Amino acid sequence: MTTKSPLVFSILTECGTSKARVSRMILPHGPVDLPVFMPVGTQGTLKGMLPEQLEELGLQIMLANTYHLGTKPGTEILQKAGGLHKFMNWNGCLLTDSGGFQMVSLLKLAEITEDGVRFQSLNDQKAEVMLTPEHSIEIQNAIGADIIMQLDDVVKTTNPDKERIEESVYRTTRWLDRCLKAHQNPDTQNIFPIVQGTLYEDLREKSAKDHIERDVRGFAIGGLSGGESKDDFWKMVHLSTNILPKNKPRYLMGVGFAEDLVVCCALGVDMFDCVFPTRTARFGCALTRKGQLNLKKEQFKKDFRPIDENCPCNTCKNYTRAYLSGIVTVLPVACHLLTEHNIVFQMNLMKDIRQSITKGKFPDFVRDFMLQVYPTKNYPSWIIDSLSAVNIKLK
Amino acid sequence: MKFYVEPLSKCTQRLGSLSEIESKPTVNIKTPAVMLHTQGGQIPHITHEVFKLVSRKSQILQIPLAGMHTFKEAMQYYEGTISSFIGSKDSLSCLTLQDPCNITKQGHHSTLKVPIWTKNGKVYYDAKSYMDVVESFKPDIYFLLSDGDTNISSSEKRIAKSVSNTMNFYKECLDRHRKSDALKHSFVIAPIVGGYKQISRERYISFILEDMKNVDGFLIDGLHNNGPEAEFLEFNEIEPIVRCILNKIPTEKLRVVQGCWNPVNIINLVELGIDLFDTSYCHILTERSAAMTFAIEITDQTNTYEINLRDSKYVDDFQPILIGCECLSCTKYSRAYIHHLLSVHELLGPILVMIHNVYHYLRFFEKIRSCIQNNTLQTLQLSITEQFRNHQKTK
Repeated sequence: MTTKSPLVFSILTECGTSKARVSRMILPHGPVDLPVFMPVGTQGTLKGMLPEQLEELGLQIMLANTYHLGTKPGTEILQKAGGLHKFMNWNGCLLTDSGGFQMVSLLKLAEITEDGVRFQSLNDQKAEVMLTPEHSIEIQNAIGADIIMQLDDVVKTTNPDKERIEESVYRTTRWLDRCLKAHQNPDTQNIFPIVQGTLYEDLREKSAKDHIERDVRGFAIGGLSGGESKDDFWKMVHLSTNILPKNKPRYLMGVGFAEDLVVCCALGVDMFDCVFPTRTARFGCALTRKGQLNLKKEQFKKDFRPIDENCPCNTCKNYTRAYLSGIVTVLPVACHLLTEHNIVFQMNLMKDIRQSITKGKFPDFVRDFMLQVYPTKNYPSWIIDSLSAVNIKLK
Repeated sequence: MKFYVEPLSKCTQRLGSLSEIESKPTVNIKTPAVMLHTQGGQIPHITHEVFKLVSRKSQILQIPLAGMHTFKEAMQYYEGTISSFIGSKDSLSCLTLQDPCNITKQGHHSTLKVPIWTKNGKVYYDAKSYMDVVESFKPDIYFLLSDGDTNISSSEKRIAKSVSNTMNFYKECLDRHRKSDALKHSFVIAPIVGGYKQISRERYISFILEDMKNVDGFLIDGLHNNGPEAEFLEFNEIEPIVRCILNKIPTEKLRVVQGCWNPVNIINLVELGIDLFDTSYCHILTERSAAMTFAIEITDQTNTYEINLRDSKYVDDFQPILIGCECLSCTKYSRAYIHHLLSVHELLGPILVMIHNVYHYLRFFEKIRSCIQNNTLQTLQLSITEQFRNHQKTK
C-alpha cells in the first residue's frame, strides 16, 4: 500500500477570463478549499476564540508563529504534548512560518550570515540568538504543522541594493536545500519554499525557477507585504504566478485586505495570511464590504443596527453597533466578538470568490465587489491595471 | 414573577423557586441560586454564546449599574429591554448598583445621592435619576437605590446617614415604581442598611415594614465594601447581624446577598436562609489565575482547594484542571496549555479558567440544593470547611 502524499492538490474549476481558480488541497489534518484566507493564531490561539467555535464556523486552516512558540512554550513542551494540534486542541490544519520574519520585526538584527540569522534579544540579558535553517525546521517539526515554511533571507522591498537582493535570492535557495535536508517528517509535513527577489523581475524569475527544480508540493511568494507601492506589488505577484507551476498551490504571504485578496485571486494566488483582521478587532474595528467601521466613534453610540445586516455571524445576530461601541477596547470579550465577526467576514469573502469562479461568474463578482468598495468608481489605478492584465475590465 | 419557598422559618436553609415570569413563562429558577455577575453586560471573559457551552439552563444576569453607565443615553432610545441590548434576550436581568468585584470606595457622600463607581470615576445618582435609568433598562429584577457604604468598622455617624438616605430612596423609588407602566412586571428587591449596628438595622426594617406593597425581596446590604477582600470575611463576625435582620423580615420574600463570598461562607449563609448570591467569586479567582478544585462530591478526585495555573510547576502538566470535571476546559484542555496561555497573556487563558470556575460553582450550587433536599447540608459544610482549612494551612 502506497503512503498517501501529505498534500494532494486538485484544480476544480478555472476562471475562463482571469488566472483565478477554485481548487482543493488535502492535508494530513483535513481538506482546505482554495482560495483560502488563513487567520493568524500567533501563540497557538486565535485571539480568544475557542477551537470549538472556529470548527463550527468551518475554519479549515490557520497559522501559528514559530518564533513565539519556540520561545514559549518551547520545543520540549510541544514534543511532550505531541505537537501543537494536541496542545491547543485544534483538529484542523496548521501552517507555521519559519520565524525569520518575526525576528526581523521583533528583535534587533545583528547580522545575517551564510550560517543563519543572528539576533540580539531585546530582554535584559541581551542574549544572542541564532536562527539557522536547521533550527527553524527543528522547531517546526516539533510544532507539527501540516505546512511549514523554509527559513528565507528576506530583504525589504524598499532596499535598493541589487547586489544584496541577488545575494538573498541565491542564499534563500541554499537555505531551502538545507531545510529540506534537515526535515524530519517529510511524510506528514510539507515544506514550502519562498520566492524572493523583491521588485527585480529577473531575480524573482531566478528564485522561482530554482525552487521549481526542488521536490516540493507548493510555493510561497514572499517579501511583498512591506512598504512597496501597489503598482510594483501586483506586477511581482503576476510575474510569480506566471512562472510557478499551475498544478501546485501558491501562497502569497502577509496579504489580507479585502481588495488585495480579490485582485490576487484574479492573479492566480490560492492561499493568503494576514494579522490585519484579528489585529484590527483588538482596536475596535469591524470589517464590512464597504470598508472598516471604527466602533469607538461617537456616531455609533445610538446606532441600533448590527455591524452588517447581511452577516450571519453571532456578533451580528445578537449585538448592535451601539452596544459594541460601549465595550470595544474596554472589555476583553469585545475583542472576541469582533474577532469572530472579522474572521467570518474574511471567510465569507473567500467563499463568495470560490462560488463565483465555480459558477463562471468571477469577473462579475469582482466588478460588483469593487463597486461596493468604490461606489463613485474612483478605482485606484493599480486595481484597474492589475485586473486588466488578467482580462477583467472595471467599467 | 413569583417566589415560592419553604420552609417559612426565619433562619433556616430553604428551597425556593422563581417562576411565573411574564416574559418567560417556562423559566423556573431554583434557589438557593447564583446570579451571573457581569461587567458592561458581559460575563467576564465569556460571551453569551460561549456560556451556552457551560450551561444551557436559564440564568439571571447580575447587571451592576457601575459598569453600564456608558449605555445610559443609548438605552433611552433603545426600544427593547436591557437583556436584549446586551445580547442575551433569553436571560433574566437583575439591575444592581456597585460591582461586587471592585472595592467600592468609601466616602464621597452627598445627601440623598449615591456615588456609583464607573470606570471613569464616580457618578452621583439620586432616586429620580436612578429610577429614570431603571425605567429605560426595563430589568426583570432590580435593587432599589441604597446607600450601602458601611462595613464592620463604620462610625455611628456613617451608619445613621446610610439609614436616613436609604429611607428616602426607598420611599421615592417605590413611589416611582408604582406609577410606572414599564416596570409593572419587575421584581423589586429592597436593600436593608444599618451597618453592623442592630438598632439601626431594626429601625430601618421597621420603617420599610410599614409599606411593603410591591416589594418582593430584600438585599442584605452594607456588610462590606465589595472587592476581593469579601472572600476573607469571617463568618462569626457577620452572623449576628445577619441573624438579627432575618429575624425581622417577612420569611416568604426573597433574600439576596452580594459579593465574592468564599464557598464556606456561602454554605453558612445558605444555612441561615439566604436564597440568592452571585458569581463574582469566580471572576476574582480567574483574575489571579486560580481555578477552583475543591471536592463537591466525595468521589471527586482532588486534594487541592484551588490551584494557581501561573505556577511554573504546571508547564508540563498535561492533566485537566480537575480530573473528572465535565466542563469544556477540563475535557478538552490541559493545565500545561492553560499555563502557556496565561504566561503569554493570551485572551484564551482567562476564558478557559473562567469556564471551569463558573461550571464548578454552578455544580456547587446544584449540590447545595440537593443536600437541602436530602437534609445533608451539614455533611457538605464539614467537607468544604475542612478543605478550606487545609488550603489555608498550605498557603
